[in-house]
Amino acid sequence: MRYLALIVPLLFVGVFIVATVRKVKVYDAFTQGVKGAIPLIVGIFPYLAAIFMLTELFERSGLSALLCNFLAPAFEFFGVPREIIRLLIVKPFSGSGSTAVFTEIVETYGADSYIARCAAVCYGSSETVFYIGAVYFSAVKEKRLAAATAIALISSLIAAAMGCLFCRIM
Amino acid sequence: MNGIFLVIFLLCAAYFIFFDPAGFLPALLAGGTKAATVCLSLVAVYCVWMGLLQVMEACGLNRPLSRGLRPVVRRLFATDDENAVQCLSMNLSANMLGLSGAATPFGIRAAERLSAGKNARYNQSMLFVLSATSVQILPTTVLGLLLSYGAENAYSILLPSLLATTVSTVLGVLGVIVFIRKEKPCATLP
Repeated sequence: MRYLALIVPLLFVGVFIVATVRKVKVYDAFTQGVKGAIPLIVGIFPYLAAIFMLTELFERSGLSALLCNFLAPAFEFFGVPREIIRLLIVKPFSGSGSTAVFTEIVETYGADSYIARCAAVCYGSSETVFYIGAVYFSAVKEKRLAAATAIALISSLIAAAMGCLFCRIM
Repeated sequence: MNGIFLVIFLLCAAYFIFFDPAGFLPALLAGGTKAATVCLSLVAVYCVWMGLLQVMEACGLNRPLSRGLRPVVRRLFATDDENAVQCLSMNLSANMLGLSGAATPFGIRAAERLSAGKNARYNQSMLFVLSATSVQILPTTVLGLLLSYGAENAYSILLPSLLATTVSTVLGVLGVIVFIRKEKPCATLP
């Protein structure tokens, strides 16, 4: 873990040194790059706002809890513990939300419990699907991602079930 | 997305109308606030990585870096666009290292290039599925969280995690290849 933190500073230093050797004006190039950040954010913002409002409604209306209860038997059939289902449902929508759910699980069941390890594997093996769809393709006019969304969600769920299985036998 | 948005929104709104009319607006506002906060932290992330990216491009460093992943990218995506291949390689390598903030600008650029070219639907879907099924090799966030809660065998999740994300990525890629076909090349006509 400690060595992993070294990657980023070494990357920056390495790049800047190579740039200097190759006679690139580092400050000019860097600021030029930063300039691109604002238009990018402006492009993403409307989609993020809509998604986050929807997520908030979804959580506060209790619809997400309802969906959890409704889907619980199906997940349990595949060996996913009931406690993790909320994590699986929140994850596609919100990164910060799923981090909160994950810490809650670890606090409740203990960091070395089977449940917490399952949750860790499920959390690590999936991404915020809807968020990625909104952000990556914010600049694209013609999005044709309906099938891809279904494929991504289904393969994440299968992976979660397999992950729980792996946790049990390893 | 339009359909999904409308259906979920209306279902939630129906709940609020019947049980908690006063809670509707605060929920929307909370969502907006969250979006603003997230955007602010994203600006910070993009400033850092896009600055570095520009320096790398100026000195030609992004070419050798993306060379390693090029064969993989070429096999997965149906594109001849050199610029897109480069962005995709950078996106994948950043995602593998767990630097999803650094991966995003490349992802956006790649999505733009791919959508303008041939096989747009296939390539869009492939990029989406690859990013959404997580190709991260070391789940650093989770590991950090587990360790901070005093887990004694936190590292025991590494192998199951790696296996699970491999399963999800392989399934996703196969799904795209099977269900979303590439366009047939029309240049074969005499």
